[in-house]
Amino acid sequence: MTTVDDTRSALSGTIETLTGDGSEPVVVNLGPQHPSTHGVFRLKVTLDGEIVQDAEMRIGYLHRSMEKLAEERTYTQNIPFTDRIDYLAAMSNNLAYCLAAEELLGVEVPPRGQVIRVLFAELQRVASHAMANGTFINDCGAWHTPLFHMFRDRERVLDMFEMTCGARLTTNYMRIGGVAFDLPDELLPTLRAFLDEMPDRIADYEALLMENEILHARARGVGVISAEMAINSSLSGPVLRATGVPWDLRKANPYCGYQDYEFDIPVGEQGDCFDRFLVRMAEVKQSLRILNQVIDNIPDGPWLADVPLHARPEAGEAYARVESPRGELGFYLVSDGSPAPYRFHCRPPSLINLSALKEMSVGGTLADAIVTLGSIDIVVGEIDR
Amino acid sequence: MTAQLDLQQAAEVVNARQADAARAADGSLLIEAEHLVAAVEALRDDESTDLIFLCNLTAVDRERHFELVYHLQSLDLNHIAQLKVIAADREDPAVPSLTGVFHGAHLQEREVFDLFGIRFEGHPDLRRLFLWDGFPGYPLRKDFLQMPGQIRAGLPGFPHESEENAWPVPGSVPQRPLHPNDPQETAVAVSEDEPDESTEGES
Repeated sequence: MTTVDDTRSALSGTIETLTGDGSEPVVVNLGPQHPSTHGVFRLKVTLDGEIVQDAEMRIGYLHRSMEKLAEERTYTQNIPFTDRIDYLAAMSNNLAYCLAAEELLGVEVPPRGQVIRVLFAELQRVASHAMANGTFINDCGAWHTPLFHMFRDRERVLDMFEMTCGARLTTNYMRIGGVAFDLPDELLPTLRAFLDEMPDRIADYEALLMENEILHARARGVGVISAEMAINSSLSGPVLRATGVPWDLRKANPYCGYQDYEFDIPVGEQGDCFDRFLVRMAEVKQSLRILNQVIDNIPDGPWLADVPLHARPEAGEAYARVESPRGELGFYLVSDGSPAPYRFHCRPPSLINLSALKEMSVGGTLADAIVTLGSIDIVVGEIDR
Repeated sequence: MTAQLDLQQAAEVVNARQADAARAADGSLLIEAEHLVAAVEALRDDESTDLIFLCNLTAVDRERHFELVYHLQSLDLNHIAQLKVIAADREDPAVPSLTGVFHGAHLQEREVFDLFGIRFEGHPDLRRLFLWDGFPGYPLRKDFLQMPGQIRAGLPGFPHESEENAWPVPGSVPQRPLHPNDPQETAVAVSEDEPDESTEGES
């Protein structure tokens, strides 16, 4: 957190002296290389003492032009790109893209494929929320202890990904029409052991964190946003639900048979950083609840529909979205009848959840801004694409 | 299940506020560019439409014009509508900004400006989002890349397919079928030597 580069130019007359005693606001660059930015993300804050007066983000350090590249690759070849959009929730990204492509192609996914998709989407949510909560507590000053506790759980999930599809982060597991491979024999016993263990783990975290005075002091009443402002700013996912809006696409627009599972939508009350943390903790429990229903009800049969690799959808368009761990993740595809999408657009929840970052952090201290940024749970690969 | 909003009814809601501003066509609500803000406000405020959540905002390069695509959602009534606006002037495309209606449009409009070069009139801070100032051209335009062998962006066919679908020989122009909604499709014929000026990305 050092004062760097364009501080001098920013201060040369462009910012008025705000206090009468000759002191001036200071421009501080957080990032692009800073632990609190969780990637290459730069936040330029203008400080009056310790109070944030303006927060402006500078992004694009990880822009890989995926939307352009995807226009020259076939629908199947584009699936690995979606892993790299949100590398902490590759399964969810695979799923959203495949749903959009299936809508264009008119493909039905067989029941076993649907259930396996739900299984991995929810495992991904557990892993992603473990990362989100762990790093959030880290930003609050807990210095890696809860992070590594939660990484144990994430590691178990990634092991299950690895035994199924061979990859841990960039899974490339979903296919247009289902999933690439059937479940290996050792997966279900591993998953069952994981599901048996997790309630105790979560009870441990709750005992450790829920009443923690330091966490309350750092996160309660910080980065508050109202429900109206959250909706108006297009926020989604845990950030929206923490304001008390029960909006979850798994309930509102069920895909892959989510209507068959029982689960609740955890919501917050105050829309502050602590509520976002609570919503994520509660969502992990709901995901485990879904997984417990999935594990006993996996139908037999094919897991992948018969879709040609060289698919040529009819001219048309499709917008499909899923509730990814970060919010509404949508893919808008336009086909002109050629083998490649004419337009490939990802609606990135990480980017759009930052819409209200300035409103959340102005008026608080710089340390609060870091907690706020951590509570939004960004993935820079998804912001920049 | 999220329903699709009845587009005829939505068009009536818009046209009651602003005559002839919207019509339903092919799964989308086509809105006249100059009436966009009034139309979106009407759709947001009317109780039967209640489109208060801007899900998604993006653009498509239709080669002769740009098409802005908006997805608006009602959280209470649980329906979604797809709005389209055409920016007809390819040299200097511009549409009104929605930032006054939806705060969430700020970043998404900047992204479209950055990658398509479409100006959003009334946006308070219209700057590039991902690329740096001075980057030549707008990458998501179809004429941005002059690839080796004159192949424009896209994948016209699989290499092993029959000859009319095959990868074009250098110098030939892959003709893409345009969208059925393209108003100028029958009016304008694309000449064969059009891609010669396709490096004009920066404007």
